Amino acid sequence: MKCFLSLLIALLAISANLCAAETGMPQLDPKYWASQAFWLILVFTILYISISKFYLPKIKDNLDNRENKIKEDLENASKFKEQAEAKVKEYEIILEKARKDVSKIHFDSKNILDKDIQSKKETIEKEIEKEILKAQKEISELKKNSISSIQIISGSIVSNIIENISGEKLNESSIKATVEDVSKKNISKYL
Amino acid sequence: MASNPMQQFTVQRIGPEIKIANIDLSFTNSSLFMVISAVVIILFLFLGSKEKKIIPNKLQLIAELSYTFVAKMISDTAGSKAKPYFPFIFSLFMFVLFCNMVGMLPYSFTVTSHIIVTLIMALFIFIAVTIIGFIKHGFKYFSIFVPSGVPAVLLPLITVIEIISYLSRPVSLSVRLFANMMAGHTMLKVFGGFVVSLGILGGWLPLSFSVALTGLEILVAFLQAYVFAILTCIYLNDALNLHH
Repeated sequence: MKCFLSLLIALLAISANLCAAETGMPQLDPKYWASQAFWLILVFTILYISISKFYLPKIKDNLDNRENKIKEDLENASKFKEQAEAKVKEYEIILEKARKDVSKIHFDSKNILDKDIQSKKETIEKEIEKEILKAQKEISELKKNSISSIQIISGSIVSNIIENISGEKLNESSIKATVEDVSKKNISKYL
Repeated sequence: MASNPMQQFTVQRIGPEIKIANIDLSFTNSSLFMVISAVVIILFLFLGSKEKKIIPNKLQLIAELSYTFVAKMISDTAGSKAKPYFPFIFSLFMFVLFCNMVGMLPYSFTVTSHIIVTLIMALFIFIAVTIIGFIKHGFKYFSIFVPSGVPAVLLPLITVIEIISYLSRPVSLSVRLFANMMAGHTMLKVFGGFVVSLGILGGWLPLSFSVALTGLEILVAFLQAYVFAILTCIYLNDALNLHH
């Protein structure tokens, strides 16, 4: 400020000396001041009117359009994002449900299978037991049968042996009784 | 005469002499460059706002940048109340900027290097701001000369200083622009003269100075347009929002 004021004073001082000589600063020659003022006002007024009426509203429109477009796009983007997030949540819920279902089905089928296996096992065991009992009975019957047939065979063998050795026929019933007696004594050795 | 650094500021009549009521209103080289600057501005804004693209091209981007630059400048200094004056300040900024920049071209004429041009602009701003102040605040606008929080003893002195500073606004505003432009162009011319007079052997030093000064002058041309516009905003702010 001080600098400019001193410059102004200096300029005025110089101009006072030089203006008379018509050299120095052409700015201080008042010959065309009115012309410059007139043309400045004319040109600037035209410029002002054209700028304020035509160009600034156009530029402002354009800037507003862009801002609105950006805002709209951002809004849309956030909306889509929300939608996407909601969908993701839905999927997660579905996935969770499916997982639960899977584990339930798994558990249920396992239970059913276990039960099935258990019952089948029991029936098979029962049958096996039955079979075993049957077999044991058969075996014991066979044993009894075999004892009596062994007695008969051994009786006949004994009578034959005696007949061949002594040439006499012995009483069959006494042989039978003797064989029975011996076999009763010794049967515990074989059975 | 060509070596006279002030030669570039002479105003010459172009075409016929126009006289209205004995006042010379002839079309001069000064008027020519005002018209050129205005035409360049209008062309620039026309091309910059012609295509309404979402993604702007270069020229549109520059036009929109200058719009937002001035809009931000006004809203930062004078607030939202100054919005109706935006077209005026935008025109003023563009006019001063383009006059300064067109003046940087060789053999052209710098309109803003003439005190009468800057003084008329500054006086118009001064008077307009004063009228706006009185319309908005009535006689309360005089309180701009009485800053609050000043001791009573100093108040008369401060008030006198405030009045002087208020009245010196148009002078400082106009002289700042005019003196900057004139000084820069004179200096460029002087160094250009040195280049010629020192010849091919010694002329390189002033030539490099000239190149550097040209860069500086382009900066000054922008800066002075900016300062001119922002001071207008500040004065407008004083008139619109009356408080200290």
